[in-house]
Amino acid sequence: MILYKRKIKTEQNLKISQRLKPYLIINIIFAGIILLIFAYSGFFSPEKDNYPVTCIHETLTGRPCVSCGLSHSFSLIVRGRIDEAYEWNHYGMRIFLFFAGQLVLRVAFSIFYVKYPDTRKQLVIVDCIGSGIIFLVSFWPFITSIF
Amino acid sequence: MEEVKNNAGLHPENSMGQNPGSSSNLGIAALITAVITFVLAVIPCVGLVAIIPGIIAIILASVGLSQANRNNSPRGVLIAGLIIGIIASMISVSQIFVAGKIAQKADHWPTNIQNIIDEVQDNVTRELEDANVSIKIESNGDKVEINTSSGKKDKEKELEDLEGGTWDRDTLKHDTIQKKN
Repeated sequence: MILYKRKIKTEQNLKISQRLKPYLIINIIFAGIILLIFAYSGFFSPEKDNYPVTCIHETLTGRPCVSCGLSHSFSLIVRGRIDEAYEWNHYGMRIFLFFAGQLVLRVAFSIFYVKYPDTRKQLVIVDCIGSGIIFLVSFWPFITSIF
Repeated sequence: MEEVKNNAGLHPENSMGQNPGSSSNLGIAALITAVITFVLAVIPCVGLVAIIPGIIAIILASVGLSQANRNNSPRGVLIAGLIIGIIASMISVSQIFVAGKIAQKADHWPTNIQNIIDEVQDNVTRELEDANVSIKIESNGDKVEINTSSGKKDKEKELEDLEGGTWDRDTLKHDTIQKKN
């Protein structure tokens, strides 16, 4: 009987840990990716113009697309030159704020997830819907350029 | 007791020797790859490249799902990864049409630019035809004021007076611009 109870308890613990893990791991990895984007923006200089990513559309068509100058814009925002960033890409600030917001949200939601286990399901739903809406608002000009 | 240890998750393996946790890890990898693909796919500059991580996400999710079916482990993350991966890949492929659209628009650009240049040239020429020039010079209390008109009608009259009723349009234009400069 004791063994059976232990078995049930360990199975429950295993299930809980399996449910716990993915959300936190995903949050940590996303936060890491966003930090890498900021590091990329800080590392490459807008003066030297030595960005490794080139626009495929510009290469194919010879004309700039709606997202051209985004790396330049990010680098300038990181350096606090907002006006110049707007000149390079009009939507640069909007996209940058999305990534910055997501970084804050990943940390905040992870803390809430660990601190308040009872509201985990609701938290994940709110996160998915909220992040989806913020994504749509931020990337809307790019999405409309596709369709 | 042996059975309990196995179920405790220390080395939980099924009858086929597969770890149920591996499908969960595959699900996390698939979901992360799919979300990155999605973000990349909507950025036109790198949208086409996003097809590569998109395919990787679909493969990871598919392998994970097949493992999960055998192990009866949770499939929520795997299905989410698969769906997002497929949608992101479709958006990535649609970037080809965006390139086509840009190329189509680009064909009209030289004509549009030429039209704008012609319009500006016409406006400048029209304005110069009726320009009035006023020069005021002050020196040691003396004031000199010169008022002259580069108006087309005045010039025509002036030229008629000078050349006895005949005038040259090209000379008039050249003179007008020189005076303005």
